[in-house]
Amino acid sequence: MSEPEQFFRSRWFEDIPVGEFHVFGNHTFGEKEIIDFGRAYAPYPMHTDFDAARDSLHQGLVASGWHVCAVWMRLMVTYMERYATGVRDGRRNGAGIGFRNMKWLKPVRPGHNLTYTYEIIEKPDKVIRGKWGIIRSRNEAYNQNGELVFTFEIDILAERRPDS
Amino acid sequence: MSYWEDIDIGRVFQTGEITVSADDIIDFASNFDPQPYHLDPAIAEQSIFGGHCASGWQICALMMRLLVDTMNRDGVRSVGSAAVESLRWHRPVFADDTLHAQITVTGHKASSGYSRYGLIDCAIEVANQSGDKVISLTTDMLVERGEVAADE
Repeated sequence: MSEPEQFFRSRWFEDIPVGEFHVFGNHTFGEKEIIDFGRAYAPYPMHTDFDAARDSLHQGLVASGWHVCAVWMRLMVTYMERYATGVRDGRRNGAGIGFRNMKWLKPVRPGHNLTYTYEIIEKPDKVIRGKWGIIRSRNEAYNQNGELVFTFEIDILAERRPDS
Repeated sequence: MSYWEDIDIGRVFQTGEITVSADDIIDFASNFDPQPYHLDPAIAEQSIFGGHCASGWQICALMMRLLVDTMNRDGVRSVGSAAVESLRWHRPVFADDTLHAQITVTGHKASSGYSRYGLIDCAIEVANQSGDKVISLTTDMLVERGEVAADE
């Protein structure tokens, strides 16, 4: 068992400053992965069939919005693992509890490259189950032309320092 | 076929069901959310979730699958959504849980961006086999308009 060091690692709630901004990753969406995701989770022609998609909402194949979200998560996990500093017990980050104002503003087509950013915008004054604080961040993704294509605000738990 | 004009406020759609296997959870997590409590059932037992559970984004994706299948089943000309006003994750989804969703139409409005489509506001709840709420969200869904479609 090697569980402790495999856990996702992060900082104490108190050490995460409002205003902190990160460009945390980018991803090029391939045709096959768009279709694979669409077939599994959002089987509309615009997500599953290159030809049929021409007659659809965006006149061509586009990634499911939930695929754009899933890639956000993948890049976030990779980035946080790199960013973590020496925390071994995995108890300082918690689950996401919710999000709001999610907008898919422009279609993401095969070959498009999205750059994802987040900014800590608020730390609501709440203690959850005695030990967690809430970190609220604004997350955005821009395409290869610098256009904003995706935005949302998410609340994620972070463990409060025990002596605070 | 049901077009945007045909969808009344107050209409409730009950979706079918999806059962999530341990392999489904691991597959999704390997691609998109490679954290130990999604990838490894043994480690997951000791995690904050207390069991092998699906990525929160997989729950969203499964909600979408339930929604799309239901709209197809009922002949509603929906093409998905461009926005989620809010979503909450209420409890984990564990391996072998069976999910279903209830979609309630709460509003009806024109779409500023698309003349061929209108929007319906929806409140969606996903629950597990015990009836416990897993996620809830509010969103608006694009649905094809009948009169524009007929003109083409």
